[in-house]
Amino acid sequence: MKQEIEQTLKESIARQKMLSVDDIHLDDSLESLGITSLDSISLVFDIEDKYGIEVPNEELKQLRTVRDIVEGVERLLADRN
Amino acid sequence: MDPVAITGLGCISPLGVDPERHWNALRQGFSAIGPLIGQDPDALKVQVAAQIAEFEPGAHFPSTQLGLLDRHSQFALVAARQAVADADLDDGTLSRMAAVVGTGCGGKETDEITYQRLYREGKSRVHPFTIPRGMPSAASSQVTMDLGIQGPAFTVASACASSNHAIAQAVLMIRAGLVDVALAGGTDAPFTHGLLKSWEALRVLAPDTCRPFSADRKGLVLGEGAGMVVLESLDHARRRGAKIHALISGVGMSADAGHITDPSVDGAARAMTAALNDAGCAPDQIDYINAHGTGTLHNDITETQAIHQVFGDHAKRLKVSSTKSMHGHALGAAGALELIATVRALQSGILPPTANFTNPGEGCDLDYIPNQAIEVPCQRALSNSFAFGGLNAVLVVEKPPVS
Repeated sequence: MKQEIEQTLKESIARQKMLSVDDIHLDDSLESLGITSLDSISLVFDIEDKYGIEVPNEELKQLRTVRDIVEGVERLLADRN
Repeated sequence: MDPVAITGLGCISPLGVDPERHWNALRQGFSAIGPLIGQDPDALKVQVAAQIAEFEPGAHFPSTQLGLLDRHSQFALVAARQAVADADLDDGTLSRMAAVVGTGCGGKETDEITYQRLYREGKSRVHPFTIPRGMPSAASSQVTMDLGIQGPAFTVASACASSNHAIAQAVLMIRAGLVDVALAGGTDAPFTHGLLKSWEALRVLAPDTCRPFSADRKGLVLGEGAGMVVLESLDHARRRGAKIHALISGVGMSADAGHITDPSVDGAARAMTAALNDAGCAPDQIDYINAHGTGTLHNDITETQAIHQVFGDHAKRLKVSSTKSMHGHALGAAGALELIATVRALQSGILPPTANFTNPGEGCDLDYIPNQAIEVPCQRALSNSFAFGGLNAVLVVEKPPVS
């Protein structure tokens, strides 16, 4: 599951920031990928839509790296099940 | 440049249905923010709003007219009629004057009813008034028809700065000699399901209340309403013996050319500096700023930094407040509601507070007049509007000369 979330997220980032999926790594900071606060809202929206979850505003503010998003989504999915 | 006289005020806001009630609430630090009404609470995360509770459209408009009026046009007409009555304009003047109405949203109520019929209810026909009610310029048209205004008239849309841009256009038309008198302001009625959902998705709405410049601020609270002013060349106002509430002595506009939602220090600073230059006044001649002050994390710190950049050492002597803490963020109407607050503040020597203030946020180090109005006679003030998308407009407002 984690790998699937990771892949989905990397594809979204790649599409949005016009990067290659291979250039995006788990521990890259969102800032280093040029992801602004508005970008991250829209990335999280894609994932929320796909997995039927809701990321609270407070958690969204804590996200610093690609890994933070992947693990956050994983936690929300686990909580739901 | 030549100052322009403000000779009429009109408004309808969550704080009151005319300028006196609006101002009385502001100077008492009363906030109209409360539970969101008229929406399905289970379908929305947003639960708080600043809404106009005591508005009965039928009391203002006959049913023949009401059918053509989206809620935002209704507000615009109520405020425009008040402003024109306050300025005591005769029919001849009305026929020659201009009207510039700002709106951030236009006729959302009309549009969403239409989409609901088509896409949800599966109906194949929509109401024939959908276009005239919903078009972004509807309020401008309705104001001219209702009041017999036959000069230049149009709508200005610059999101949350729409009112200030509209007022600036009217000031420039008067200075250019195109008209002697203009009605200008803004209106918005954003409490529709689709629009609320859209604001939610941006994650800038506060779950509790609007606390501009406070450490625990969580975002903006939407408001609604309209504000209108009658503007007039000083000569024209004096010739007809009009009462002059205040002067607009400068307007300043800029674009951030940066980010679609994140505000910029430089863009805001350039608009304030342009307004001061236009008014021919030095930074230390400003006593009070009615801030844009939305209560979002980004705006309040950026605006504070911009004020430091423009005012330097004088910043610590300035009084600054955000009345959005009380009337909410009425988007395209915000600037006009705040201009009326600023005019009344200059007239009365009472500065409205920033309500719901707790502790100053990081980097928010100005005198924000926390929670209680203060008595400080002021000569000159700024009214700031900085829109999403980086479109900024600032007005310099001052007391009229004693004559």
